[in-house]
Amino acid sequence: MAATLVRCLRDTLKIIDWAVISVLGRPFPPSDPCLAVAHYETAPEKTYSLDNVFDSAFLWAVPKHRTTIEKRLKRKFGSPDYGMKIYLPKTNLLECNTCGHHHEAGVLCSHCYEKVIAETKEMQEKIQENLGLSPVEQDVVVLYDNERQKEPEEFWQGKRIVEMKKERPPWFSKNLMQRSTQSPASSNDVKPTELA
Amino acid sequence: MNQADVSKLISKLRINVAPRHRNLKNPDGPEGRLLKLRKTVTGLIKHERIELNYNRADEARGYAERLISEAIRYGDCHRTTMELADFWLLEKQLVHKLFKVLVPRFREYPISYTRLLKAPDSPGIAFKRAVLELRGNPYPPLTVDSTRNRALLHNVLLDEAAKAYRAQKVTGVTSEILEKIEREHPSSPAVETQESEVTKSPNISEKSGVLQEKSSEPSYEKT
Repeated sequence: MAATLVRCLRDTLKIIDWAVISVLGRPFPPSDPCLAVAHYETAPEKTYSLDNVFDSAFLWAVPKHRTTIEKRLKRKFGSPDYGMKIYLPKTNLLECNTCGHHHEAGVLCSHCYEKVIAETKEMQEKIQENLGLSPVEQDVVVLYDNERQKEPEEFWQGKRIVEMKKERPPWFSKNLMQRSTQSPASSNDVKPTELA
Repeated sequence: MNQADVSKLISKLRINVAPRHRNLKNPDGPEGRLLKLRKTVTGLIKHERIELNYNRADEARGYAERLISEAIRYGDCHRTTMELADFWLLEKQLVHKLFKVLVPRFREYPISYTRLLKAPDSPGIAFKRAVLELRGNPYPPLTVDSTRNRALLHNVLLDEAAKAYRAQKVTGVTSEILEKIEREHPSSPAVETQESEVTKSPNISEKSGVLQEKSSEPSYEKT
């Protein structure tokens, strides 16, 4: 009984030894005596000489060819199609015949525009106040102070009148094509003018 | 081989229409672009003058012109046209305005129904601005109208042409009357007196310096 016990123990220890060797790659404790040595790497000595400079990757990014004059000029000055890099004078500036301010050709004069848009916004607010969501079936006639009295009441019957509680601005002439207050011409004949 | 005549399918729009629409940027994609354009067209019909960015204004202009031209061509009893108006005009009181106010206003127009003007730049705003308006709106005009100034060259020439036309009409009428009298009462003394009166009536053509010929055929007729 004791012999079998000893044999079992010995087998177990062999299995453990085998496991340690398979994991570590060497028996534990080490079979032969050895010394543990503390080891550190010293930094390599850098010698800065011209020969070493060309060994490293210092000069990999380098132009291979001379940039052509076209590319150079394009980089320096830009292009009309892809964005100019230099400033050019604007030769398309005109004077407004009405107010004298300058504006770009093809664009409205800013001075006159501000005036007209401010008046337009006032008129639009007033119209929307009166209109609401009812179906719109008539042209809107916008009247300023003291203009309603100039025509008899029958003239205004059946028209959508919006009264602005202010004087007519001097630059907004009444003699414009307001078809809601005038009937269109009924004949095709050319009529004589005041000068003719 | 036999190409169908597609030139009469829609009314010719009197504006420049690009071959393809702009891809207006919108978080909802193409559907969002159409919704934004519907709002723009609704705003234009409602207010008759709106200020917005140039690109959207140009796009909306095309749709607005097409809508008005269809309304003029077919009227309000046409189902497809009414559906079109219902789609484009988000506020339904404006459908009434389109057929009852704008169609009678624009029916005889030989030119476009809208006007697209470039607004001045403001500092800090990168996009070009524009004003889109319907012609015949009640607001003060943004551009100077030089069609009525009788001193300008185009009006001077038109006035002279009108005078020549009237003079020619007058001579035509009097010669008709003379022929009629001759037929009814041949070789009567009244004929000679009326002939002398005819030479006096077209005084206008002799006095004006613009007309060089004193012959019966005015110069404009020959061109």
